[in-house]
Amino acid sequence: MSGLLMPPVTQPDPGSGDLMIEADAVSKSYGTVHALDSVSVSARRGSVLALLGHNGAGKTTLVNVLTTALPLSSGRASVAGYDVTRDPFEIRRRIGLTGQFASVDTQLSGRDNLVLIARLLGAGRRAARSRAEELLELFELTTVADRRASGYSGGLRRRLDLAVSLVGGPQVIFLDEPTTGLDPSSRLKLWEIVEGLVEQGATVLLTTQYLEEADRLADSIAVLSAGKVVASGTADELKATVGRRTVTLTLDSDDAPARAGAALRGAGFAPVGGEDGTRGLVVPIDTTREIADVIRTLDQVGVEITELAFGEPTLDDVYLTLAEQHARIPA
Amino acid sequence: MTTQLTPAPRPHAPATVALKTPDFGGSSFVAQVRVLTGRSLRAMATDPGIVLFGLIQPVVILFVLTQVFSKMGMPPHFPDGVSYLDFVLPAVLVDNAAQSAMQSGVGLVEDLRNGVVARLRSLPVHPGALLVARSLVGLVRSAVQILVIMVLAMTVLGYSPNGGVAELALSAGLTLFISFALGWAFIAAGAWLRRAEPLQNLALIVIFPLMFASSAYVPVADLPGWLAAVAHVNPLTYAIDATRALALDVPGLDHAIPALLIGAVISAAGAFAALAGFRRPL
Repeated sequence: MSGLLMPPVTQPDPGSGDLMIEADAVSKSYGTVHALDSVSVSARRGSVLALLGHNGAGKTTLVNVLTTALPLSSGRASVAGYDVTRDPFEIRRRIGLTGQFASVDTQLSGRDNLVLIARLLGAGRRAARSRAEELLELFELTTVADRRASGYSGGLRRRLDLAVSLVGGPQVIFLDEPTTGLDPSSRLKLWEIVEGLVEQGATVLLTTQYLEEADRLADSIAVLSAGKVVASGTADELKATVGRRTVTLTLDSDDAPARAGAALRGAGFAPVGGEDGTRGLVVPIDTTREIADVIRTLDQVGVEITELAFGEPTLDDVYLTLAEQHARIPA
Repeated sequence: MTTQLTPAPRPHAPATVALKTPDFGGSSFVAQVRVLTGRSLRAMATDPGIVLFGLIQPVVILFVLTQVFSKMGMPPHFPDGVSYLDFVLPAVLVDNAAQSAMQSGVGLVEDLRNGVVARLRSLPVHPGALLVARSLVGLVRSAVQILVIMVLAMTVLGYSPNGGVAELALSAGLTLFISFALGWAFIAAGAWLRRAEPLQNLALIVIFPLMFASSAYVPVADLPGWLAAVAHVNPLTYAIDATRALALDVPGLDHAIPALLIGAVISAAGAFAALAGFRRPL
């Protein structure tokens, strides 16, 4: 729920100097296929930017361009203040990447994987070992630290992958569908880790197919469809554009819906239902704050609520609506 | 320089130490090669099966050839005072060098496929560092295998080359150089093909016939006309003639210069092609 109540983050002024991720009209084409079509996104230092979209929307391509793995066809992009085309090495010194598929050396132990990356980043033998130890403890990998990564479960491998991407203490962290295929508790744990990193000032770009994830973690969201940004803003802003939130009530008696309906209409709401003798009532609302208003109104007229459910537009609502709108508007 | 991040105090944060790190400062190309070479050597040491498995083919060929053909009459151009085992061993070592070279390509393909390359690409690591490391690891593997085969041949089969210790060492060194050159060819093939099967097929359909169409198992002068013609332009003939001349103290050392030149050209072209192929996006 904390994500829902997150205060909206105002978009930073372009060129404020505090932008850690900046893509300006980035396009990437393969022949006639436009994987990215003039995409512009940005993220301030210490914020989380989520790229939302289904498979093939261009999320991973954008991550690849920003992490300097893939050259862009046109446009301009910078990470941590460095241009992706001119200074790829400066960017690589400051980023951590956890891709969709775990990028660990399965022939090495978890510990050796961490030491290897630290050494490649220039750490001495001792510094590398202590950094590895630190991350093994943090990600609760100490018990399997000296086992070959080829024997790790999917969740373990992903955790190791994330640990590996943090070896250099990156300023900008790219997480490409970090929770796909994780069980709910591992997912929750990963979310907490991301929140911890952001509190320390890291900037995070995360791609996901789950609105819930974007909702909980992201300060701003860009919805990608067929290589284009079809919408961007805070989670609340996005939801407001596609559909309304609702409170669904079940009341304690047969005459309650009529009384409740009248009271709610008097308070400025537009409840639906209750006419056909059912005890249910659906109340569209704009902000979560209005849930309290609904309850207060019913309390004032003495109606008891036996069940209350809060409904959000889902990713499907957001995504399908936006994709549909996008298809109707000629580019 | 990486700016030091100051973590906000939050005792329960699961990632409180994750960013609290020294600036490791980056590493030189040489350091990167050293670290990546060490990584593969470590993997090799913890799984010596890979090195030993590579020995199966040369050892089997050695046994088969020496057991099957030793009772047959020597062809007219066979060098005097040399047993068939002595004759064929330098060729078996070159064959093994080619197999080891193929392994270098397969190793790179594994790195490309299991995510290691994807990881390295997000780090400030020069793309050539992994290629050079793969080449060096191949050298170590070849050296170990050459040593094992030589010791096995001398102790079990009775290999007794006429050349001195220094010449024998030079012969092994030249074999290593051939392994190095072919290693770059296979690393280049791996960087472009990015799959292990075609590499193995390449070794099977190129190296295997070329070994027979060379001075490896029978002197070139004793081969049928057309095969002798192929053997004359086959680089492996020069390589085998030169290593054999050194080890057995027989004529053929004049082939060392062409062998070295061809090897140098293959190495340079292979390294160039490998880097070009490796730089392509995953």
